[in-house]
Amino acid sequence: MSDQPSRTSVIVTALGADKHGLLAAVATTVAAANANVDDVSQTVTGGMFTMIMFVSFTSGDTTLTGLQEALARTGVETGLQITVQHEDIFRYMHRV
Amino acid sequence: MVFITNEEILETVRMIQDENLDVRAVTMGISLSDCASRDVARVCERIHDKILARAGRLVAVALELQDKYGVPIVSRRVSVTPIADVVAAGDSAAFVAVAHALDAAAAEVGIDFVGGFSALVQKGFTRHDAALIDAIPQAIAETRRVCSSVNVASTRAGINMDAVTRMAGVLLDVSRRTADHDSIGCAKIVTFCNVPEDNPFMAGALHGSGEPEVCINVAISGPGVIRNVVARHPELSFTDLADLIKRTTFKITRVGELIAREAAAMLDAQMGIIDLSLAPSPAIGDSVAEILEAMGLARTGAPGTTAALAMLNDAVKKGGIMATSSTGGLSGAFIPVSEDAGMARAAAEGVLSIEKLEAMTAVCSLGLDMIVVPGDTSRDALAGTIADVMAIGMINSKTTGARLIPAYGKVVGDWAELGGLFGAAPVMPLSKAGNEAFVARGGRIPAPLQSLTN
Repeated sequence: MSDQPSRTSVIVTALGADKHGLLAAVATTVAAANANVDDVSQTVTGGMFTMIMFVSFTSGDTTLTGLQEALARTGVETGLQITVQHEDIFRYMHRV
Repeated sequence: MVFITNEEILETVRMIQDENLDVRAVTMGISLSDCASRDVARVCERIHDKILARAGRLVAVALELQDKYGVPIVSRRVSVTPIADVVAAGDSAAFVAVAHALDAAAAEVGIDFVGGFSALVQKGFTRHDAALIDAIPQAIAETRRVCSSVNVASTRAGINMDAVTRMAGVLLDVSRRTADHDSIGCAKIVTFCNVPEDNPFMAGALHGSGEPEVCINVAISGPGVIRNVVARHPELSFTDLADLIKRTTFKITRVGELIAREAAAMLDAQMGIIDLSLAPSPAIGDSVAEILEAMGLARTGAPGTTAALAMLNDAVKKGGIMATSSTGGLSGAFIPVSEDAGMARAAAEGVLSIEKLEAMTAVCSLGLDMIVVPGDTSRDALAGTIADVMAIGMINSKTTGARLIPAYGKVVGDWAELGGLFGAAPVMPLSKAGNEAFVARGGRIPAPLQSLTN
């Protein structure tokens, strides 16, 4: 649609048992998909890894579906439950 | 970048991944008023072409939005102008032909249901209305996706008791015709009082005469989310609990608002309404009954159930009304027995009776919904039960519906397996006290004093 900005912002979350290299694995997939990490935070509590990553990309270089498929593969490889959602759903749910 | 806290992000993910938050239905309302013709074959052709032209991309758009936002959109549906207003025919065969055309068009566009095989007869029947009602048994038995609803009562008009009795007869006929599948055809027929013209939920969806050419109505869901919020806070008083439910419902409703806006824009349709209903599904953890039980009732049906439901229903509306300016449809908590595993369990244990459900109907939507009764239930017992539900809607100026399933050949204690979102339910006992003389009076119960509001 013409009124959509050319840059798409999504939020990636990853949850699962902690081990080495999880953040790197997700970030590598995002980079390989020509998307940019705008912000990231991660915590490990009681062996549970929780990561929230703000990612954006230019439509044309990257598609949401392509990023979702790539991260789904990373999820299988690392044992993480990974979600990729457009940021608007969070904005709508939590802000008037 | 909008500032959103990590807690908020994880809350959203948890609601979707663990608590069954979804959009229950994206329903496209389509006016068929320009499809009318005296020639039935021509009507069928026009209906087919219009549904394909307007709803052809509905499923693709819904799937695209589902992926974009990571929230499941469980069903895609179409509602149409009440067919009795589109077909100027006095014979039921013409209406059966139209039902087949609707079914074929629905299959072609890939939607699961099409609603609007309907008539509004609260004050009386036109020739077409009568023919449509006569066609319902064959139409429902021979199609897969067609849903039917008939409005037999309203606060303004009263209750058309002749129509009530006729619908009871329709149910028994459909029960017989779909006996091989536990009389599932009856699950696709709703008898209404004060039918809404913009309801996205099946089986009662229709596209009313005051509606635009094409619009998108969205039904939200989320009983599992509310249930978990309530269960996590046993310490809260009802005052505080109501506030928490409001806050949570706000978030759920906003998802519906987002999907409705975007789907309407993508499909070149007007954004219609968000239905603020907590719609359960047979999935574990997606139950309205379990919300009431999380409030402290051992089972739905225990003393306090009606009060708990009234509080829940009100809090859902108050939270939802802040989240969207486009409310409509049924907008209330649903209590369908077969579609709610918790309701079905309470009914099977004998804690939840039809009489208690009738009381619950007075404080929520949608009436006696998806209730399985013995196959040998008489027409007049069904008619009396439908009339009771209509009276609650008429007097309280609200929508009520009856979706009763006399399960052919089944008796109290048996189960009816209806499948999919329809779920399963035990056959519940219905009073056998006679009411034949009451039903035989016929005519119309006059509009109540509440109708004179001008």
